[in-house]
Amino acid sequence: MTIRPPVIEITAAQKMFGSFQALSDICLSIEQGEIVTLLGPSGCGKTTLMRLIAGFETVTAGTVKIDGKDCADQPPERRPVNMVFQRYALFPHLDVFENVAFGLKVKGTPKAEIRERVQRMLHIVQLDSFANRYINELSGGQSQRVALARALVNGPKVLLLDEPLAALDLKIRQHMLVEMKRIHAETGATFVYVTHDQDEAMILSDRVVLMEKGRIVQVDRPEIMYAAPRSLFAAKFLGETNLFEATMASDDASGMTAVIASGLRFHSSVVPAGELRGKVIVSIRPESFRFARDNDTTQSATGQVEDVIFIGSRSFYTICLAGGFRVRVQIQRSTRTSLPKSGEKAEIFWDSENVVILPEA
Amino acid sequence: MILRIVVWSILAFLLMPLVIIVLFSFHASPSLSFPFAGFSLRWYADVLGSAQLGSALVKSLAVAGFTALITLVLGAAASLAWLRLGPGGRALLEVLCLTPIALPGLFVGVSLLVLFAQARVQLSTVTIVISHVVLALPILIVAMRARLALFDPSLEEASRDLGASQMQTFGKVTLPLIAPTLIASAILAFAVSFDEFVVTSFVAGTETTLPMYIWSMMRRTVTPLINAISTLALLFSIAILFMAWLIGHLRRRSAVAGRTVS
Repeated sequence: MTIRPPVIEITAAQKMFGSFQALSDICLSIEQGEIVTLLGPSGCGKTTLMRLIAGFETVTAGTVKIDGKDCADQPPERRPVNMVFQRYALFPHLDVFENVAFGLKVKGTPKAEIRERVQRMLHIVQLDSFANRYINELSGGQSQRVALARALVNGPKVLLLDEPLAALDLKIRQHMLVEMKRIHAETGATFVYVTHDQDEAMILSDRVVLMEKGRIVQVDRPEIMYAAPRSLFAAKFLGETNLFEATMASDDASGMTAVIASGLRFHSSVVPAGELRGKVIVSIRPESFRFARDNDTTQSATGQVEDVIFIGSRSFYTICLAGGFRVRVQIQRSTRTSLPKSGEKAEIFWDSENVVILPEA
Repeated sequence: MILRIVVWSILAFLLMPLVIIVLFSFHASPSLSFPFAGFSLRWYADVLGSAQLGSALVKSLAVAGFTALITLVLGAAASLAWLRLGPGGRALLEVLCLTPIALPGLFVGVSLLVLFAQARVQLSTVTIVISHVVLALPILIVAMRARLALFDPSLEEASRDLGASQMQTFGKVTLPLIAPTLIASAILAFAVSFDEFVVTSFVAGTETTLPMYIWSMMRRTVTPLINAISTLALLFSIAILFMAWLIGHLRRRSAVAGRTVS
């Protein structure tokens, strides 16, 4: 077995726009065939990072290697990557076939081969019968597929997608996510996907690159990033969570314990990002709580149910613990156990593997 | 109600001279006053039979044609620059363009005449064309600006991303997309040049364009020929402006389509 170099390797990359530092200290390597999402709020530098890979921006410092070669001097047209633009950027003066054929044509591919490859790609994105339509005759979802086909037909080493679903409405967006996974499986290309939507990132990615203020704050598989965020920012950005200000109490082989102002102790078995001492933040997801004690439950607290929101498969409880600490609890619907009602006393239980202790800021 | 009367009065005031000229161009008698003595095409026959008038018309068409062509090439370059300028650069270009439009033609004419004299350039058809380009180019740039603002710059990036060089991108993407705008603007330049008088009279030397010929006729005596020439010129200008509007309007939808998502 040979070890392949990563298809993209970014080392100590920096990007300045005038005196504004858009990206600092970016190190990232992406393997062949992965779907990697660059996730973060707007202005975090994720689009700039993608444009560095595409060649529309150049690094101020550091290197970007594609397929093992430093591509500092390569203009966008010489890089083995293709991009799906946020608003698709389809050519309005060309029909669907000519749009998809554009890349092959400028490379001087023989006509017969162009025809065959474009038709195969249109088949993959399920637009076989749309070859002669003009762009202004397409719906948003269809435009999206043309944009995908136009990029993928060139057989790129890496497909870059810049918030490709942002302009679509919710229903089409969910459908296109499924399509995107299927197309990824069929083409085997490496996908680098920029989004500010955590759901898209979770559904699609093999790995999520979480960014904040021009820096990468965490790179992990989505389920790990959700279960074990390494910063307060990551805990807040992905999903919903309960956060409590706390003080470190103990740190030993079995895990760490932090105590909140009311004296309630939270024990965590999640390995932290770094050494923790003094003031910390405790994070527990709403779905980590239960109303029933089972074998491995080690921690509990009692409080009063303030509010119940029933939304079918799940219910959301707001429970006020001693000292005025409010906890949001999410419970899956069950017919077997009776659940507390608004105004009643309730005891909640949780496991140490669901408690994440984070540095304060 | 009163407002409606005011509007119609203003329109009548603006259009009355045109109506009178067109009406008297068909007058059977040389008199330019009422009562109307019947219709005739005799002035049109005289106009079309005049050799001097013919050569002035050819001169004007040639000048307008070259002006449109040169303005088209310079305008294409200017629009490419405009697409790449930031908001500051665009504002500066706009001010630079509006200045010659706002200056009195008299002033522009004198300046050009002095310039040509300083540079020892013989006044000729060439100097007329140069002067008309100076007048038409800013108008063209200002006219193109609104449509160019609809051009999506990511189309050029998409083209580069798909492997096209900068030159290929210009030929295959940018030019086809801005061509309708450019052609419509060039027709406008043609119209500006075709009836330009003030600046032309400074820089024409011994040459005579159509507006200058009409003016020199008027200096001797006011003949009904003027009405026929003016009516023809009017029709020609309307036809050109309509053409410019049509081209711009028909292709506008496709130029915008790249941006809007239906």
